[in-house]
Amino acid sequence: MSRRTEGIATLSRAATPTILGLIGVILLAFPLRLAEGLAPTPLLPLVVVFFWTIYGPGLLPAASVFLIGLLQDFLSGGPLGLWPAVYLVTQYVVASQRGYFLGREQRVVWLGFVFAAAGAAFVLWMVMSLMTRTLLPLGGVFWQMAATIAVFPLFSAAFRQLHRRVLREA
Amino acid sequence: MEALGQDRREGLGRKAESRAVLVTMIVASFILLLSSLYSAEASVFRKARETVLDAAEPILALVAAPIAYIESVVGDVGDYFNVMEQNKALRSENAELRQWMDEALALRKTLTQYEQLKAFQAPPEAKPINAFVIGDSNDAFTHAMLVNAGAPDGVARGQAVIDDKGLVGRIVETGRSASRILLLTDAQSRVPVFVEDANLEGILVGRANARPAISFTLSAEPANFQKGQRVLTSGAGGVVPRGVPVGVITEEKDGEAVIDLYADFARARLVRIIDYRFPSLDPVPAPAPDAAPETESEESEAAAVPASVAALPAAPPAPAPAEGAEDEPAAPEPSTLAPSTPAPPPVEPDEED
Repeated sequence: MSRRTEGIATLSRAATPTILGLIGVILLAFPLRLAEGLAPTPLLPLVVVFFWTIYGPGLLPAASVFLIGLLQDFLSGGPLGLWPAVYLVTQYVVASQRGYFLGREQRVVWLGFVFAAAGAAFVLWMVMSLMTRTLLPLGGVFWQMAATIAVFPLFSAAFRQLHRRVLREA
Repeated sequence: MEALGQDRREGLGRKAESRAVLVTMIVASFILLLSSLYSAEASVFRKARETVLDAAEPILALVAAPIAYIESVVGDVGDYFNVMEQNKALRSENAELRQWMDEALALRKTLTQYEQLKAFQAPPEAKPINAFVIGDSNDAFTHAMLVNAGAPDGVARGQAVIDDKGLVGRIVETGRSASRILLLTDAQSRVPVFVEDANLEGILVGRANARPAISFTLSAEPANFQKGQRVLTSGAGGVVPRGVPVGVITEEKDGEAVIDLYADFARARLVRIIDYRFPSLDPVPAPAPDAAPETESEESEAAAVPASVAALPAAPPAPAPAEGAEDEPAAPEPSTLAPSTPAPPPVEPDEED
C-alpha cells in the first residue's frame, strides 16, 4: 500500500464516527414515520456520541460532536446551539465516567446509556422550557429516548464490530 | 467481546487537552443558543438556515420517495387486516357525505344566482402550491416539516399549509428549493382561529404535544364553547384565508379549548401551500381620495381596494350591523367581501363606522 492510499485510509477511518453521526442526523430529518408516526425515530447521533466517547475518544473530537449537533439544529429548525449543547454535555459526562465503562459487560454499558439518555433528555427539556418560557410536556422526549435506548444494543453491537475490525487497525 | 477498550492508555496523553476543548465547545454552544434566542431573525442565521435547507433538499428528496413507497406497501398490508371495519366505516361516511353533497349542490345553485348579481365581487382567490413532504423534524420539542417547494415557486413566509383534511401549519423558512413548515403542534405556533357556532375568536397555541389549544385572551368573561364545535382559521392578520378547517374542540382545560386537529401529520405526504393575500396588499394607484378616513386598519384596507369603492361613501352609514357582521362566524372575512354592493344597501354595510 502506498503512503498516499494509506493516508486516505487513515483519514477515512478517523472520519467514520463523525460521518456516522451525520448520517444519524439526516436519518432524523427523513419522514420515516415508523408505525404511522407512533414510534419516534431513535436519536442515532446520541448512540454514536456515547459509543465513541467511551471506546475511541480520539476518533470523535468535540468539534465533530459540535458539527453533528449543529446540522441537527439546522435540519430540525430548532434554536441553533441546542443539540451541540445536548451532545457535548453528554460527551463531557460520559468522558468523565469512561474509566468505569471500559472493559465492562455490554449490559452495564447499556444501563449507562440509559442514564446518559435521561441526562440528555433533561438538558434538552430544560433548555427548551426556558426558551419557550413554559413547562413543556415530557411525553415526546420520553418516548424518543425510550426508542433510542431500545435500539442501543443493536447499534452498539454493529459499532463494536466496525470499531474492532476497521477503525482500530491503524 | 470485552476485549474492546481494555487498554486504558487509549488517548490518555491528550486527555487534558481534549477536556479543555470539550468545555470550550460546550460554552460556545450555549453562547450560540443564547444569541439565537435573542436574534433568531438575524440575517446571518436566516441565511445559514436557508442555505442548509437547500443543501439538504436533494438528499432528502432522493430518499423520501423510496420511503413513501415502502410505507405505502406496508400500509396496504395493514389495510388487508382491517378491511371489513374500514368498509363499514366508509359506507356510513359515504351515506353522510351524500347528504352533504345534496346540500352543497343546492347551495351552489343559490350561489351562482348571487354571483350573477352585478354587485357581487368574489373574494380573492387563494392560489395553491402543491409540495411533497421531504423531511420531518423528528424531535420532541420542535414540530416542523420540510417540503420541496421554495421561493421561486411562490412560497413565502407566513403562508398557510393544508393537507387533504385541514390546516397543517405555516411556512417559517423558504429556501430556493425547499421550505420549512412550522406545525400547529409546535410550542411556537400561533394561528388566529375562531370557533364556529360560538362566536369566539382566539389564538391557537401549540403545546408541544399532539393537541394545540385555543387561548381566548381577549374576552373577559369565560368563553362558552362546547365539545365538538368546529374550529376554523379566522383570517386575522391577513395571511391565512378565513375559514380553513383546523379541528374540533375535544375538551376544556384551564379556560382553553383543546383541539383535535383534522390534519394528519403522520400521513401527510403531499401538502398544499396557500398563496393568499388580501387585495389591499397590492399597491393601488390612487383612487378614493376621501373614502373613509378611519383608523381601523382592516377596514381602511378594504376601502382602498378597487375603483368601485370610490363611489361608496355616499351609501347609508348604518353603524349597527358592523358588529353583527363581525359576529357572523361562517361568513368570509368582512374586508374580503367588502368592496362590493353599491346598490343594495342592507347587504354589506360594514365598510365604514
